[in-house]
Amino acid sequence: MKNNIIAWGVIISIMALSCHKKSAFAPLSCCAKGDAIAASSLPVPLDGNAPVYQLQGKWTDAHNRLLELNELKGKVQVVAMIFTHCGYACPRLVQDMKAIEDSLPAAEKDNVGYVLISFDSERDVPAQLHRFAAQQGLGDHWVLLHGNPGQVRELSMLLNVKYQKLDDGNFNHSNSIFILDRNGGVRQSLDGLDPQTGLAINTIHRLIQQ
Amino acid sequence: MRSLFALLLLGFISSPLQDHSGMIKIPAGELRPFLLLAGQNGRIKVHSFYLDIHAVTNDEFLQFVKANPRWKRSGVSRAFADSNYLKQWAGDIEIGDDRIRNSPVTNISWFAANAYCKWKGKRLPTMDEWEYAAGAPPVNAKRGRDLSRIILEWYDHPNPAVLPVVGSTYKNRFGVYDMHGLIWEWVEDFNSVMPGSENRGPGGNPFVCGAGALGTANKEDYAAYMRYAFRESLQAAYTVGGLGFRCAQDIE
Repeated sequence: MKNNIIAWGVIISIMALSCHKKSAFAPLSCCAKGDAIAASSLPVPLDGNAPVYQLQGKWTDAHNRLLELNELKGKVQVVAMIFTHCGYACPRLVQDMKAIEDSLPAAEKDNVGYVLISFDSERDVPAQLHRFAAQQGLGDHWVLLHGNPGQVRELSMLLNVKYQKLDDGNFNHSNSIFILDRNGGVRQSLDGLDPQTGLAINTIHRLIQQ
Repeated sequence: MRSLFALLLLGFISSPLQDHSGMIKIPAGELRPFLLLAGQNGRIKVHSFYLDIHAVTNDEFLQFVKANPRWKRSGVSRAFADSNYLKQWAGDIEIGDDRIRNSPVTNISWFAANAYCKWKGKRLPTMDEWEYAAGAPPVNAKRGRDLSRIILEWYDHPNPAVLPVVGSTYKNRFGVYDMHGLIWEWVEDFNSVMPGSENRGPGGNPFVCGAGALGTANKEDYAAYMRYAFRESLQAAYTVGGLGFRCAQDIE
């Protein structure tokens, strides 16, 4: 089973690499579609902290506590980048994450955390994150993070989340939910706004056993 | 005592946190963006900012790697830079070929460029800042003043075996060098072009393809189209032979 996973990993990595060459050297070939799909299941090596947890710098949570991303280590984490003034897509992402939480068997609930990171460094200050968590009924397993624009951009690059601030203060952004293993390795990316709760539950179950 | 006073005075003149050497102040202005996005009215205001006069060179980047060993070629995590990272160098902290010392450093990832600028107390320019600064007309170009002709002639030629040194192409009206004609450059938000939700593929990712071009402000601007398409094809850990960077800084 393990060999199988490694073999797939190698195949996917090779696919990702060959896409890379094509897209990086021939700008007009258009559309990094192949990359996006390959990247969504790209396994991250598990020797020590995965890249996400290597990012340095303090974030502030909804209770005004400072924390570094590597403090999320130890649990399986379900992660999304959002902004709380978002009218449509972000509430859907949060609902999808809540559906995952609700569907987990009771025995697994304490092994999983939920992390929302805001693009909106200006408006999503800790107090606003706190209000949002209360409105959405987000419980003790949830962490909402505020960071400076540089930190947010760096994290988005690792997760391959795209976002752009608009003149009215809102954001265009891609929609993905990420499942991170206990060391911060991104093991699955659920892209788009269609709930994929079953898939997520299976992945989480597997990662808890590891 | 007098020298102490001089030092204090110097301290007032140039704050130690803001080292603008090698930079120039770009005045505020407006950018007519190549791609029109929902929520934009066709003009983007760009605040005044500092920009490096030329791209970061191999020599300058070497100083950064020496001071930050985690960015050595042999030590960097693949998640932060792919396997071609700094491949033009002879070794971890050795450039080798003297001819490229003052050429722009290329084969560096977005993460590496971002880390360099942070180390300098600077940041990468945003795409809007870069495009605005790069849109200024040449003041000393040999081939005349037409920017798009300079760019298209550059696109027309294969990459030279030895990348020319910084400052070797042209200076523009803002006083910055080589914005076109030498290398492509990373920007802070290179992957953020989102033409609109209707263009998103099954992966939830937007593409700058045919549909994206419908929203362009100037369909004739082939050179700009190339830049946006190229940026869209990148990911932050990629390294490319003709892709370097320069840093920017806020006006305090």
